[in-house]
This record gives sequence, C-alpha cells and structure tokens, in this order.
Amino acid sequence: MQYEIGIVETRNVIKTLLDDYGYDFRDYALTSFKRRLEQIISNNGLKDADGLIGKLKGNPTFFDQFLNEVNIDTTEMFRDPSFWRTLRDDILPEIIRNSTTKPRIWIASFDSGEELYSLTIILKEMGALDKVQIYSNVFTNATIQKITSGQLDPKDIEINEANYVRLNGKSQYSSYYKVEGNKYFFDSTLVKDVNFIKQTPIIDKDPGAVKLVLFRNQALYYNQLLQERVLQKIAESLVAGGFLALGIKETLENTNANNKFTVFNETERIYKRKNV
Amino acid sequence: MYKAVIIGGSAGSFQVITRILHSLPASFPLPVLLCLHRLKHVRSGFVEALSLKSGIPIIEPDDKEQIKPGKAYLAPANYHMFIELGNKIALSTEDPVNHSRPSIDLSFLTAAQVYRDKLIGVILSGANRDGAYGLKKIKDLGGLAIVQDPNECQVRTMTEASLKMTPVDHVYNTSEIIRFLQTIKT
Repeated sequence: MQYEIGIVETRNVIKTLLDDYGYDFRDYALTSFKRRLEQIISNNGLKDADGLIGKLKGNPTFFDQFLNEVNIDTTEMFRDPSFWRTLRDDILPEIIRNSTTKPRIWIASFDSGEELYSLTIILKEMGALDKVQIYSNVFTNATIQKITSGQLDPKDIEINEANYVRLNGKSQYSSYYKVEGNKYFFDSTLVKDVNFIKQTPIIDKDPGAVKLVLFRNQALYYNQLLQERVLQKIAESLVAGGFLALGIKETLENTNANNKFTVFNETERIYKRKNV
Repeated sequence: MYKAVIIGGSAGSFQVITRILHSLPASFPLPVLLCLHRLKHVRSGFVEALSLKSGIPIIEPDDKEQIKPGKAYLAPANYHMFIELGNKIALSTEDPVNHSRPSIDLSFLTAAQVYRDKLIGVILSGANRDGAYGLKKIKDLGGLAIVQDPNECQVRTMTEASLKMTPVDHVYNTSEIIRFLQTIKT
C-alpha cells in the first residue's frame, strides 16, 4: 500500500484502455479502480501509471493479464450461506417447475468461478444440474480455461467449507475437489455445459429470456451511471416473474430499475421482475 | 471545520465505542464512520447492540449510501468500507487486508483521501496492527489523529502500533475522547 496514483493518472490509464482496446472503464467506481491500478503497478514491478500505460500499449497479451488482475475475484464459495439456502429451497425449484424448456440462469457478475461452482454444486445436489441452462460472464479466455479445468484458487478452503456446512449441503464439501501438491482441482464436470459470454466492462451482451440473474457484489465497483445501465440491461433480459439476486448490501432503491421489480426477499436482496 | 470522524477498533473496543456513542448528542454535527473488526458470518445483532445506548442513529450502510451528519455508519461484516468522493459509502469484497475485512486501514485511507484536513481519526483498543497505516495517512493529509491511551486498552497492540508509526495529536482515555468530541462545532 505504498505507491499511490492520482485521479488524473487514473483517467489516463482509462483513456488508454478505451482508445487502444475499446474497453470502457470510465464508469467504474473511482476509489476501488484506482486501488486496483496501484496493485497492478506494484505486482508487475512498474514504476508508475505511465509505466503501466507504456506496457499496455500494443501488448494484447499483457492487456489480457491486466483484465484478469483488474477484476476483483470472488473470494468465497457459498458466500452468505443463507442466500444459497434461499436459492436452493425457494427459487430454483420454482423456476424449474414452471418451465417447459430449460430455464436460463445468468451469472452476470465477472465471477472467478466461485459463484458458478457454488451454483452448480447446489443444482447437482437437487438433481437438477441438467434441467437448467447456465450462462456466465467473463473477461478473458484465461478465465474460461481456469474455470472449465476446475483449477480455482480456493483462497480460504476452510471458509468455503464452513459456508457449505452452514447451508446444510447434502454431501461433503471435500467431495467436490481433489488436492494435488498445493493445487486444488474442482470437479469440472459440474461446469461442462456452461455457456461463457465474453464481455467488455459495460456488459453489452445478454442471453435473453432469463429466469434468474445472479449479480452479486459486482455493481460495488461501478459508479451510479454504470450501475443504472447494467441494471437496465438485466431488467430487459429477465422474463416477467424472473429473479434478480444482488449482494446482501446492495439495493435497487434509488435506482431507475426499482419500478420494474418487487422485493422477493429483503434480507437476501432478491427481487422479482414485474410483468411489463 | 471538520467534516467527519472515523473510529477504528478491534478486540476490547466494544465497551469504549458504546460509551462514546452514548455520549454523543442527537445534534452531533458530523457523520461518524465506524470500522470495527467483527465476526464475518454474523450478519445481524451488532448494530442492534451498539444502538441500544447510542445518542445518534447507527446504520449498517448499503453500497453507494449517502453519508449524512449526525449518523454513525458501521462497516458491514465481510465487506471493506471505502469513502468515495461525493460523500458516499463504497463497499468492496476484495481480499482481506491485515487478515481483516473490513480493514481499518482501507476505511481510514479512503476517508483521508476524501476529507483530507477535515477528518478526525481515532484508534481504539485492538489485537492487531490494522489501522496504524490508515491513521498515518490521515495525519499525512492534514487530519487530526487521536489514539486511545494504551494503558486504558484491554488489548494494546493496535494503539501501540499506531503510536509507533506516526506522531499523533492526542493520546486520550475514553472520557477525554468523549469530552473532545462533545466540543466539536461545525
């Protein structure tokens, strides 16, 4: 936490990302984005923001690495166990029961795999993994590769396991991964049918006709403008009666999307799309 | 002349913070930002416990919540709490810092960058070094730094680390901290 960059330098990096790669980070929340750039500069042994700009220019390989580093990893599996319990007991059975074709579920946050594996483990324990179609947003092919090979960085395996126990999982958490050396290999068959959607930061693609969107803790890193835009996109993508889950400290109140939803579960911040 | 008070604490700070909040008048002219280490999986109960005797309302803010004077904002469990330009709360799920989420360093650092010399930072009793760097940043950017007297602390690691890292304005016991805060006018 030694090196600090200013607002002007932050804007210069953002300009390079937009001009050279067409990736628009202008409406990311300033404090966390600035902090992220500081960490990337220090992790890569660069001197300052100009050093970062120099390395980004004409270097798509480094740009991809930058995208992976600038994105904030999901730090836990089954974060907020009571949310996952609600999903398993109240929401997933309803959307599966009421669908004639496979209902679409969209993980619209830029997840590093933890949300996706949590979801698929729950579906598998319900015997419903093949009854849904899952879409998941990613920035890079490297992330797709990481997730589909099951080589997640489990960060704190004890926290993950404690969360799993709290949601009363049917099995043993440890049955979903193998350890080889100091590497964890999660059961990649869980995610073999997932569709990954490569997105830029403004999320300009959506699967359409979605019944459930998980968008937890992603808008924390947006300013209000981008939050509004993406929520609008998500609202359009959801069918009437479809569900939207935000992080437990996020709210639709004070956003324009608010009038398109009713509150389904206040504590877990789950909303239901109104009929148009 | 000040715009905000930010208070950080860990082990042994609960009673102190309860006394401070109890002493504040409903008309307290500043927002009070609280970053206290807490159990990550216990979502409710803490605000309620702190609220019992508090003179001002205590809020566990949602992301992007507007910060208002005369209210206390408690960093939620398992999130970092940043202060964002425009006087707003910005939460974050990035990795723990100093094994802590919320991290006092991050709340203090981001508050210092927004309020600069209009910020009062207070470090209370605690069992790790989180907060020491943040208090230094407040001091570096012209704010006022207060540390609870280590002799009064149940656990003195945090206050001693802070005193070691930066020359502070005041080393106060709880009663003195309260008296100081009660004299603040806008």
